[in-house]
Amino acid sequence: MKCEACLTLIEEFVDGSLVEREASRVEAHMSDCPTCAEFYKEVKAEQEVYARYERDIEVSPRLWAAIESRIKQERPQESPGLFARLRQSLAMMFATPRLSPALAALLVAITVGLTAAVMTYVNSRDTEIARGDFEKAPAPLPRAENQPRPADPPAQAPAENGSGLIAEKPEVDKTPTQPRPDEQRPRATARRQVASEPDPGQLVREAEQKYIAAIAILSRDVSKKRSGMDPMVAARFDAALGEIDKTIAETRRAVRSNPDDPIALQYMLSAYSKKVDTLREMSRGANATADED
Amino acid sequence: MVEAIRLVGQPSERAGALMNSSEELISRVRRGDDEAFRLIFDRYARPIISFIYDMVGQRDLAEELAQETFVRAYKSLNALRDDAKLSTWLFGIAKNVARESLRTRHREDHRVEIDDDRVIEVTDEKLPPDRELLDKELNSVIQQALGALDEDKRTVFTLKVFQQRSYEEIAEITGFSIPKLKTDLHRARAEMRRRIRPYLGVGYEV
Repeated sequence: MKCEACLTLIEEFVDGSLVEREASRVEAHMSDCPTCAEFYKEVKAEQEVYARYERDIEVSPRLWAAIESRIKQERPQESPGLFARLRQSLAMMFATPRLSPALAALLVAITVGLTAAVMTYVNSRDTEIARGDFEKAPAPLPRAENQPRPADPPAQAPAENGSGLIAEKPEVDKTPTQPRPDEQRPRATARRQVASEPDPGQLVREAEQKYIAAIAILSRDVSKKRSGMDPMVAARFDAALGEIDKTIAETRRAVRSNPDDPIALQYMLSAYSKKVDTLREMSRGANATADED
Repeated sequence: MVEAIRLVGQPSERAGALMNSSEELISRVRRGDDEAFRLIFDRYARPIISFIYDMVGQRDLAEELAQETFVRAYKSLNALRDDAKLSTWLFGIAKNVARESLRTRHREDHRVEIDDDRVIEVTDEKLPPDRELLDKELNSVIQQALGALDEDKRTVFTLKVFQQRSYEEIAEITGFSIPKLKTDLHRARAEMRRRIRPYLGVGYEV
């Protein structure tokens, strides 16, 4: 090892940040090099000086009192159920501004198509099963809001929670009504029709993969530009992304446990879409900051 | 990082804070338990105030900004993605709060104004022999030298040298790449070295 290389590593050596192999090389060099050994002594002496540095800081009780008084007004809400949390997260997500297409637009366009296909398919299958063999259909599917089945009586429309949002699971689906005789079809027909359609799970997985690819591209882009961003803006985006990630995780869990639930699917793909939008906005924000600089 | 803190007037009643993991405390706060947030405050108040003080150079302001840091943390606790990284996350918020404050104050070239009226001019003259006086002088010299660093270098230097954070943690807190923060740290050390050399007791010339 040459002195030049050793001198650049001595500070890290004193910090204990070097890996063992590098540390051994530095030590070996210093044992034969008085110049580097002298610099090592100086850096060690600096460490001791910094260790003696005192700020005369006290944590006064009034500091906590001030914080406590402020957080009393920000008391977190009681822990809501899964779907209630989803509604809350989504309400926050959709409150932030959206973006026009930029990076990864193609992937997103494909994904939107896939999402539409998934939703159309799931809804059509729902209708098909509703019209078909009610008694033997394995599990009735809840349906998306504003898409009541024609056969449903008005009293069994999806329940709302008072805020216009969908209730966790429409009760109507748990006790399906008897179909009219003219709507009954042989069970085999319904099953065959379902089998000929594309696998919704596959469509969902493809849509997810496309979103994940778009998110990876955008995340890399944002990561490169992050150091040039206004820290306050970056913190706000980070907070929003944190919320979206939580929503994605929750919706994924919901979809995995209820793969046929169109509401859960819709929420999950919306959450992915929102993350793409937010990352894109963050990337544009970083560009704008760089331009200003 | 676990750090024992003795609060003024509250000797040990909250020593139990040290027995709770960050994850447990965060979970309790999310369920509406403000006492758990008090324990988080007890654990991190001193390092956070120290860090902010090193960034802004004024005690009153540091306390005010620490208050803002903890309130923001409370409000955005749901945004914390990895509960085990509470400390890093808090320092990230503190860094943002301190930098916002510095920018608002529009200090020319971002120098920090030291509020200590005992600031002593640094000279290469012979040092006073008394150790206590020397330490006082040394504190002033370090504060002055820190205030003369630019914001990025001061942030990285403080986190590494005084808060003993790893490069990975500093990268998370600041959003800087590791090569950038290593360069900033090396330059910050060199600048600090020039100012504190009279106190080092060795005659190496860089």
